[in-house]
Amino acid sequence: MNRENEHKSVLVIGGGIAGIQASLDLANMGFKVYLVEKTPSIGGRMAQLDKTFPTNDCAMCILAPKMIEASQHPNIELLTYSEVEGVSGEEGNFHVKVKRKATHVDWDKCTGCGECTQTELDGSKEFEGEIWVDRIKIDETSCVQCGECTQACVEENKERHAMTNVAFERRRFVELPPEEREGREPEILAQRVALMDEESRADFWQKELSKCIKCFGCCDVCPVWIYGETELEDPEWIAPGEIPPAVPLFHIIRAYRIGDSCINCGMCEETCPVDIPLRTIHHLMQRQPPESIFEIIPGLDPETKNKLVERVKERPVVGTEISK
Amino acid sequence: MNCDLVLTVCPFCGCGCQFYLEVLDGEITGVVPCKTDEVSGGQLCIKGRNAAGFIYHRDRLKSPLVRRNGKFEETSWDEALEIVSGRLSEIKQLQGADSIGILSSAKCTNEENFLMMKFARAVIGTNNVDHCARLCHASTVLGLVNSFGSGAMTNSIPEIEGAGCIFVIGSNTMEQHPLVSSRVLRAKERGAKLIVADPRRIPLVEFADVHLQHRPGTDVCLLNGIMNLILSWNLADNDFIAGRTEGFEEFKRKVGEYSPEKVCQITGVDRAALEKAARWYGEAEKASILYAMGITQHTTGTDNVESCANLAMLTGNVGRKSTGVNPLRGQNNVQGACDMGALPNVYSGYQSVRDEASRGKFEKAWGVELPQEPGLTVTEMIDAALEGSLKAMYIMGENPVLSDPDVNHVRKALSELDFLVVQDCFLSDTAEFAHVVLPACSFAEKEGTFTATDRRVQRGRKAIGPIGDSKPDWVIITELARRMGSTQFNYESPQAIMEEIVNLTPSYGGISYERLDSGEVLAWPCPSKEHPGTKLLHEEIFARGKGRFFAIDYEQPAELPDEEYPFILTTGRVMFQFHTGTMTRRVPALEREASTGFVELNPEDAARLSIVQGEKVQVKSRRGEIEIKAFVTDRVSPGVVFIPFHFAECAANELTSRNLDPEAKIPEFKVCAVKIYKGDKHG
Repeated sequence: MNRENEHKSVLVIGGGIAGIQASLDLANMGFKVYLVEKTPSIGGRMAQLDKTFPTNDCAMCILAPKMIEASQHPNIELLTYSEVEGVSGEEGNFHVKVKRKATHVDWDKCTGCGECTQTELDGSKEFEGEIWVDRIKIDETSCVQCGECTQACVEENKERHAMTNVAFERRRFVELPPEEREGREPEILAQRVALMDEESRADFWQKELSKCIKCFGCCDVCPVWIYGETELEDPEWIAPGEIPPAVPLFHIIRAYRIGDSCINCGMCEETCPVDIPLRTIHHLMQRQPPESIFEIIPGLDPETKNKLVERVKERPVVGTEISK
Repeated sequence: MNCDLVLTVCPFCGCGCQFYLEVLDGEITGVVPCKTDEVSGGQLCIKGRNAAGFIYHRDRLKSPLVRRNGKFEETSWDEALEIVSGRLSEIKQLQGADSIGILSSAKCTNEENFLMMKFARAVIGTNNVDHCARLCHASTVLGLVNSFGSGAMTNSIPEIEGAGCIFVIGSNTMEQHPLVSSRVLRAKERGAKLIVADPRRIPLVEFADVHLQHRPGTDVCLLNGIMNLILSWNLADNDFIAGRTEGFEEFKRKVGEYSPEKVCQITGVDRAALEKAARWYGEAEKASILYAMGITQHTTGTDNVESCANLAMLTGNVGRKSTGVNPLRGQNNVQGACDMGALPNVYSGYQSVRDEASRGKFEKAWGVELPQEPGLTVTEMIDAALEGSLKAMYIMGENPVLSDPDVNHVRKALSELDFLVVQDCFLSDTAEFAHVVLPACSFAEKEGTFTATDRRVQRGRKAIGPIGDSKPDWVIITELARRMGSTQFNYESPQAIMEEIVNLTPSYGGISYERLDSGEVLAWPCPSKEHPGTKLLHEEIFARGKGRFFAIDYEQPAELPDEEYPFILTTGRVMFQFHTGTMTRRVPALEREASTGFVELNPEDAARLSIVQGEKVQVKSRRGEIEIKAFVTDRVSPGVVFIPFHFAECAANELTSRNLDPEAKIPEFKVCAVKIYKGDKHG
């Protein structure tokens, strides 16, 4: 092997059969190859063909082994669902700017099992057209963020699940006709709440959280809630026996405690007997630090807020009992 | 490792939520909600979520106990049953069958209640069989039969969601029937008007469009006032009245006497609020009434129920979807226990013991002669025990020492008995008075059916084997009946009992385990195998033919405040405990939330008596006295205090009065006079 090639790298633009073959050849020569492809998968046109000219060979039979080889080659780094935005520098020393689009999938973990594409929406929700183009490139205008794909991923790949959460800006609230802005479907509500000023947001949550009958269902079904003595059971924080429990403190504590690990599965809202839109809280918190809860549900006095932040810092996981 | 999910019915309130018990290697590890259940839809309240919490409690009775020299000693089933059958036979022979009283249980299955009433009638030979429905909805069973011909909820729970106006009177729905309140809130979300009439600011008031905070016991007056306004605004449904009802003219004259001025003065309700309520209820296309103990537990309980029925008929709000008169029953099988005839005057399916044809049918089926005079009610049994005419009692799964009014009186009565058998999961306060205690299985250890408040019959399933030496109630009754010489108790399983129920009870005629297990949702009446069940009653015609209006005058509660006892005490429950707490007080998560009782006191009254938040005070009535923590809150009006009845250490029923509704014999738990003072004064 030529020592000169050791630290040199090549960028291949386009993951069709030509790009794949070029990448493989270069990689086998010892070059580090970056293969950029704008769609979610390499394969290109050939993957869409049945037979190839002139031998009438099966297209996939030729392509598939190469695709797999490319994806597993130690010298090839796939940058799928990415686009080249700019090239600068000169021969031998290029700087390339690549835009990687959000895929909601952690590629290091994805096993390609395909379970996420098998899930269906809850039958009660009606939507026209396709909900997604595929699970990687989710159609953001129609995904309702039911969370089923994530759940399927978690179930199939318990140890290493790859689906991350989808984002919530689907049907853009501001573009909706007024009558559709009042709905309670999570994605609409989340945007409505996000657009409220602080005072109306505080009023909105005051009204919703006053429904709470303290069943602890949202904690019971939560996959990331840690059992043990939390502030919710501590009379110094939440007075026992009161309905509704301290508004908004009770639900701020609950959301803050899981803020860093919530997978937005939506079970808390589904099991809530009084239909508090808990999912909305977690939609809004999803890509923000747990402290964002204090803005999402305003109205907590600063003293209690600081006390809570300090406390959670001190005791991030309270009373954990791993072995039961 | 073997993991099972067993679908069963929640053992607490009458909503009848189904859930799964999670069973790991024969041990229950938790409760999992059931999304396909039509009432709960995967949602449960805190009691439901903790329903498995008491099953393995160390206090569970594990073997029969017999009292020797004043102390309980463990014994064998053989000996315990020998003593019970021997003593009961002896008392029956010497004192007559009517000197024995039997309390069945709203916590037991339909099959067990049927067996218990069969045991009372066919083996003991008495109609002295009753259960705690006497203390909650006896006036409903009577009142709605008088008005409509059927004493049960007219509509089903999911329908509430579609109502245009919901009138909640005397029901703390959010705390006591959480899964019903979720329907109320959903209806509200869709734009329904919510009217709440309650002397307290209950949590549902927060969401009400109008709150009628009437004085305890003035319900008839309030309802007459609303009906007067509806009539004067011509909002009555005249076609409905003419076509489907009778007794309207007399009723109309009576209601005419209740002018808004008079009503506001008596009830203490603001006139504008009264008018709003009348307008919204009268104008709604579909209006639904929900009520519970606030209506029934009065000396005028039956009148209150009939007034609710009047209001619904006046506006044509019966027999259609999302309307109706909906009594919310408090226990998971109190509807079923009534249906099964654990009542002194009827057999299963409300077939009267006086009616010769019905009696003949049961006599033929059971091969014995049956008594024809109605027996004693719960409250009358206690009185009879004290007088000495009742010598023995057999109490299954009830705890009258906490649940009945004036418990001093109950304790005295029970200690007068020659022989008392208590059959329960735990050594309840009542069991302390027993001569023999028989350990029964909990809901998780037996098969059977339960009937929810909206007449839905559902399967309870066995998740685990019996704890210790306990046995399912039906097995105990069967074995006891056989020992007492009956040849009519040959059941291999609850399913076999259900077959007998089905044959003898027209309204349950089409119900079978096969149908229930296949997932059918069956509400009675379900007269035949092909019948889909009846979610909506009185659709074309009332069960009694025509709906009957009653002209009802307002009458004051039996005991009113005076100089010596200046406060009105009203009793009730809290979200986190259930009834006498035999089960819930043994669940840590529930006990943590509500560990003891309190007396709710208006800040005005508290200031006058210089009582501060959380202070211990004495509450005294003509019958008893308790020490209890004060909870100062504007949830109650000045002059009214509230105490939950769950807690033995400060039992509200030490104070309550034994005044009964003359027909339904339900005690007036909701009104009695008390005084409050600080311990040091001894005023």
